[in-house]
Amino acid sequence: MFKRFDPTNDVSTSTQVKASVQRGIKSEISHSHPSLTEEILDDLIPKKGGDEPIFFQHRDGPILPTLKFVHKYPGLEFTSVRVDKGAIPFLLGGANVMCPGLTNEGGEMPADSDEKPGLEKGDGVVIYAEGKEFPLAVGFMTMSSKDVRSKNKGTGIEVCHYLGDGLWSTDEIH
Amino acid sequence: MTSITAPRNVLYCHACGMPPEYCEYGPDFETHCVPWLKSKHPDLFTKLHGDKQVMSKKSDSAAASPLAPTEPWSTRERLAAFYTKYMPEKLDGIDAILDKYAGKEDKLFTALVKKYGPEPEDPYCVAKYGAASDDEDEEEETTEQMSNLEIDKKKRRGAAAKSTSKVDTRIIIQKISRNRKKAVTHVVGMDTVPNLNLKDAAKAFSKRFAGSSSVKDKEIIIQGDHLEEVAEMIVKKFGVKEDAVFLDLDGEFVPFGG
Repeated sequence: MFKRFDPTNDVSTSTQVKASVQRGIKSEISHSHPSLTEEILDDLIPKKGGDEPIFFQHRDGPILPTLKFVHKYPGLEFTSVRVDKGAIPFLLGGANVMCPGLTNEGGEMPADSDEKPGLEKGDGVVIYAEGKEFPLAVGFMTMSSKDVRSKNKGTGIEVCHYLGDGLWSTDEIH
Repeated sequence: MTSITAPRNVLYCHACGMPPEYCEYGPDFETHCVPWLKSKHPDLFTKLHGDKQVMSKKSDSAAASPLAPTEPWSTRERLAAFYTKYMPEKLDGIDAILDKYAGKEDKLFTALVKKYGPEPEDPYCVAKYGAASDDEDEEEETTEQMSNLEIDKKKRRGAAAKSTSKVDTRIIIQKISRNRKKAVTHVVGMDTVPNLNLKDAAKAFSKRFAGSSSVKDKEIIIQGDHLEEVAEMIVKKFGVKEDAVFLDLDGEFVPFGG
């Protein structure tokens, strides 16, 4: 999504949203990442709006954190998955995560229970990699984690933002 | 809670901007990232790449033979591999050979390949790039050169259509008709004039010709047909030499002075 993102051309305006919308955004974030309570978010998100992008949302998709932000706060536990080593170079090129990358040895997803899969379709996730400390992409599930395990074919996560893309190289938005 | 929300200083590679553990997937890993990491964070380097160090050295020598002289160890091994394959009895003498050919190892290997046959392939190289022998490399180089030539040609052709060189001043003025009656004048290459702000120039044009003018991708577009007048003005006002200004008359570029 951000492969050719360039803040000087692609950002038309930036506005401060009103307080009620801010509350809505915060509650949505903490809903999709349960460990991020709203008090923590209050601490993290600048009141008066900073220049640094920390979360983004594409149309009606989930609100996702930027990678620089995730790297900066290693204590936060985002909803996350891990892919195996083989998937890394593809992800760094901007490819989506295919199911085997999650189910192979080295890959990991939250466990499924009988009534509820660990991750629903459409859930936003931070993607870590086998043997690496830092996450390398963020995206959202195109099928539930249960389907990923059973089908094990095709795109499992649509990647929105990865290391080295346009958003990654954006430090400030004006 | 403060421990969770306290930001940490994250170290990113100065060469490629990635976290160091992802550097190895970048294009400049061996040439830029490794030297940087080695000099600035040697402990992190050994932690991340300590076990692969030998491998990367090997690939260095195989991928780029011109670099070999700086790392005599790898050249030596390359030569040793060659001799083991074709004449193991001479293995003891390779040090002497290396001394003799110091600085021109590439010649040595070319000669060896000519005499005995293809060079044994570096297992690491094979694993990484498929079968990559020296001959292929040369082919690649020549094709690269060819394509470079082509680009050069294109550039030359391109220079005729649009001035792209930044060094010498060259301005091309074109008239482009918009309707049957209306026309706009394009001025390309004003950015090659030293000490000139494109916007200021556009403003001067719009004042002079009483029409709008705008700057778009380093071109100035002026409403109306002012081919000759613009040329004249550029020469007089901006002090550009007459032979650097060209008029586009039916696709031909005529120097303004001539």
